[in-house]
Amino acid sequence: MNKIVEKEFFSENVAKIVIEAPEIAVSRKPGHFVIIRIDEKGERIPLTIASSDNEKGTITLVVQKVGVTSAKLLALEEGDFIHDVVGPLGKATHIEKVGTVLCAGGGVGVAPLLPIVEGFKKAGNKVITVLAARSKDLVILEEQMREFSDEVIIMTDDGSYGKKGLVTHGMEEVINREKVNLSVVIGPAIMMKFASLTTKKYNIKTYASLNTIMVDGTGMCGACRITVGGKTKFVCVDGPEFDAHEVDFDLMLSRLGAYREQEMEAYENYLKTVQ
Amino acid sequence: MEKVAEYLKTERAQEWRAELRKSLKAKERTSRERVEMLERDPNIRNKNIEEVNLGLTEDMALLEAQRCLDCPNPTCISGCPVGINIPKFIKKIDAHDFLGAAVVLKETNALPAVCGRVCPQEKQCENNCFYTISLKKPAVAIGHLERFAADFERNSGSIAIPEVAESNGIKVAVIGSGPAGLSAAGDLRKLGYDVTVFEALHEIGGVLKYGIPEFRLPNEIVDVEINVMREMGVKFRTNFIVGKTAGIEDLKAQGFEAFFIGSGAGLPRFMNIPGENFNGIFSSNEYLTRVNLMNAANPEYDTPVLSGKNVAVIGGGNTAMDSVRTAKRLGAERAMIIYRRSEEEMPARLEEVKHAKEEGIEFMTLHNPVEYFADEKGRVNKVRIQKMELGEPDASGRRRPYPIPDSEFEIEVDTVVVSVGVSPNPIIPSSIPELKMTDWGTIVVDKDTMQSSIPELFAGGDIVRGGATVILAMGDGRKAAAGMHKYLQEKVKK
Amino acid sequence: MADLTTKYLGLTLSNPIIVASSGLTDSVEKIIELEKNGAGAVVLKSLFEEQILREADYKMKKARQNGMMYADYSETFDYIDLHVKEKELNHYLDLISNAKKSVNIPVIASVNCVTSQEWTTFARDIEKAGADALELNIFIMPFSLEKDCHDIDKMYYDILEKVKKEVNIPIAVKVSQYFSNLGFVIKTLADKGADGVVLFNRFSSPDIDIENIKVTHASIYSTPEEMHNSLRWIGILGKRVSCDLAASNGVHDGEAVIKQILAGASAVQVASAIYKNGPEYILEMKKTIDKWMDKKGFLYIDQFKGKLSQEKSENPDIFERIQFMKYFSEIK
Repeated sequence: MNKIVEKEFFSENVAKIVIEAPEIAVSRKPGHFVIIRIDEKGERIPLTIASSDNEKGTITLVVQKVGVTSAKLLALEEGDFIHDVVGPLGKATHIEKVGTVLCAGGGVGVAPLLPIVEGFKKAGNKVITVLAARSKDLVILEEQMREFSDEVIIMTDDGSYGKKGLVTHGMEEVINREKVNLSVVIGPAIMMKFASLTTKKYNIKTYASLNTIMVDGTGMCGACRITVGGKTKFVCVDGPEFDAHEVDFDLMLSRLGAYREQEMEAYENYLKTVQ
Repeated sequence: MEKVAEYLKTERAQEWRAELRKSLKAKERTSRERVEMLERDPNIRNKNIEEVNLGLTEDMALLEAQRCLDCPNPTCISGCPVGINIPKFIKKIDAHDFLGAAVVLKETNALPAVCGRVCPQEKQCENNCFYTISLKKPAVAIGHLERFAADFERNSGSIAIPEVAESNGIKVAVIGSGPAGLSAAGDLRKLGYDVTVFEALHEIGGVLKYGIPEFRLPNEIVDVEINVMREMGVKFRTNFIVGKTAGIEDLKAQGFEAFFIGSGAGLPRFMNIPGENFNGIFSSNEYLTRVNLMNAANPEYDTPVLSGKNVAVIGGGNTAMDSVRTAKRLGAERAMIIYRRSEEEMPARLEEVKHAKEEGIEFMTLHNPVEYFADEKGRVNKVRIQKMELGEPDASGRRRPYPIPDSEFEIEVDTVVVSVGVSPNPIIPSSIPELKMTDWGTIVVDKDTMQSSIPELFAGGDIVRGGATVILAMGDGRKAAAGMHKYLQEKVKK
Repeated sequence: MADLTTKYLGLTLSNPIIVASSGLTDSVEKIIELEKNGAGAVVLKSLFEEQILREADYKMKKARQNGMMYADYSETFDYIDLHVKEKELNHYLDLISNAKKSVNIPVIASVNCVTSQEWTTFARDIEKAGADALELNIFIMPFSLEKDCHDIDKMYYDILEKVKKEVNIPIAVKVSQYFSNLGFVIKTLADKGADGVVLFNRFSSPDIDIENIKVTHASIYSTPEEMHNSLRWIGILGKRVSCDLAASNGVHDGEAVIKQILAGASAVQVASAIYKNGPEYILEMKKTIDKWMDKKGFLYIDQFKGKLSQEKSENPDIFERIQFMKYFSEIK
């Protein structure tokens, strides 16, 4: 049982949740994630750890309401308990000094991107960060990103903040004007797919942090499997980061939709009960 | 060996045993038919998860126990991986001392209620019964009797909580709460150690909970045993992955002096044929975990599972049987086993195969999948299968399957469960580079003490044997507990 | 300085010397070394179906002997050949992708096929891993006393057709010399889509140890004399088939390379010469070719490639018989 010690809404459907997890906080590195189960009837879902505090013994998750479990999670209050939290899972991000790193985050993908931006900056790289969201109120963690980036470019679909356009426009602007040695992209699968196609054009090595359906998170079931370079890999133990140019994003998108009907139906039922 | 034979002889010579032997003529015993387990009706039970076997009544148990001849040389024991004193417990039943029978079982086997249900007796004790070997008749139903005694004890409400020696304050860690870990934990606690079991999942029991379905091994039976351990003082920590949440070194710093690694063989294997990553194709681990551990079939629980009309399960072992029978219960119209060898070569328990057939499972033996196809949404909808024929035996002694050229055809499927084996979980071994491992990814241990190449680390169960049986895991757990005890006592002396 | 560039299977090679599928090409380090020494391309060590089955049997045997491993009724060991195959295939795909990341010369994958089933799907993975081309080493010796030559020929065509359907990369077929109608077979392979044919596969030759009275085998290295059979056939087929031809066996020096090209080969495959003399030998061979081209006034390979190929109009039967008679009548 892990207590929620802080909760803050970034927007109507996106919130930061800080939970007590002293052992996880100590072992955690950028790139790691946890699997949580809200209550005894809940499902197990993965959530990337946005940050952790060793002294306080807490970890921070940023959650977007997309279905039943995330909705239930956002409905919990400070002082409530999450029944099960296990981690840190996955392989930590490989941070090294390469020169200039172009980081691109879409939507809530920005949250797990933050510790990676910080890591690359502290390793001595020049870091340019592109944040993308549908509209102004979905842009999160801008201040924190500015702290660790040499430059932050904000792209919104509707132009309500920053520049109007997609994350790929922002990325290409940077690539066309200076040399980029490495790129990291995190966000919805479709965003990562197109961001990766963009960097592939220019032969820039790119890491993507994949989000797939998971059940156990320890390599035991294979629910999270994807194809990388023609071979099957498990996101929970071989990832979550992979060479983006080798990832079969279409397969990943297809697998993400495996339970779409059930998820939608369950979400509608849930919304009815809270009303 | 000598000591054991002596011990068995002494036990057998006891008066109560001699009396029982005299009470009935051998001919009368051997002329009886083997008892038949009461089972639920196949066409009703294949739609729910009630336990299929209903157990023996007291009368049935007594009559069956009397079939046992109490042989001077009990060959049945040599078939048991942990050497249970089988004649003794059966004769306790014969003597109407059912609780006594449970006590005898628990001297060697920590979870007799589990083993009585899941052991492949036909390959172990019953295969070596005098009836099988010499009389060529059905063996004494040792498994059914074991289950009877254990269930009687549980239902009577007087489960003996084993005596725990005075606490010696030495902290030991058990990693994994499956059968190996539970056995080791129980024995170590009895010896007075401060035992903590670390479990990666949110439930205790390992494969007993997530792998074996309710209709074969109800979770409540496992929970009863776990509660006995809690009463003994064993501590359990769930959601704790040793090697991720904290490492062995971290635990040492917290004062743990010895470790038992029972992390199992949880890595699923696939066939790596085209289309295997389409939606609707599962490893048996995922499929069974969703249903058994996460209760996906129950609408009150959030975890979903894809249930299909036409379900194909690839493989011929117990896991394949469990998966295909689960599919049937989830509503499959066609639930099929696709196995590349013939039925004789299937490694599954005979009882599971029998039950599966009764429940309407289709057995496509001598068939093998070669490719899967999907609809526009990426959900599997067809599988191409080739027919096989058996050639010369391979190194396993079983005949090797060869594809028959030009024999391919396609069938409709909307769910596939791949059940072709598991590999040892790599998390702990990869976090300890100095740990000596085999080619198969298992931990190398001394066969008598279960000690690994690192003195304070012991291991047992599937992490040492590859995917094996519950009884072997439990035997390992007990051996390791004895080995750890010896190691720690010597350490204390220094 | 002559230009040794040549085209083979639609790939551009800096020179016609390809290091053949062998122990010389089974690791990234070795391939890098070969590129450094001037190899025009490499064909990776072949993947054998039987090798995988043998490895699986070996693992099973060892497991049964090991006191701890649960082997006999293990669900995993029931399918051990699949698991070994997965490991070997993944290893091979890694070799391909790592080699591609480390060198610029073309990397050609090679599989040794007996049945067409397994390898057609694996061909897709090979393409995805980045191989520039695929060489099908169809290793069917006509040992069977039951199979008609047409059945055997058909196996070659079946395998080729099945693989061709799966991939877009060029496919070469390495054949043995044991066909009663070699010319026809090669022409048919070309018509059915083979981008290249490699003449010839080399089987181990038997020998007998009369001291111990047992069967052994002859030297595993080829001899220069072995070159002449492929030379003949490349000479005959050079202008008659639509696919590229590559010569293998017995190419032991730069002169041999020149001869094969004059006969009509687009490239040659070497192994024994490199085993014996080391990778640096490739540079020597190139030097020989270079010097000869300068001497004869050739700037490009194409200027002398196939110069001595038989014309389509010539009748090879009669040509051969006349040559034979001429030769023997001179020896009187």
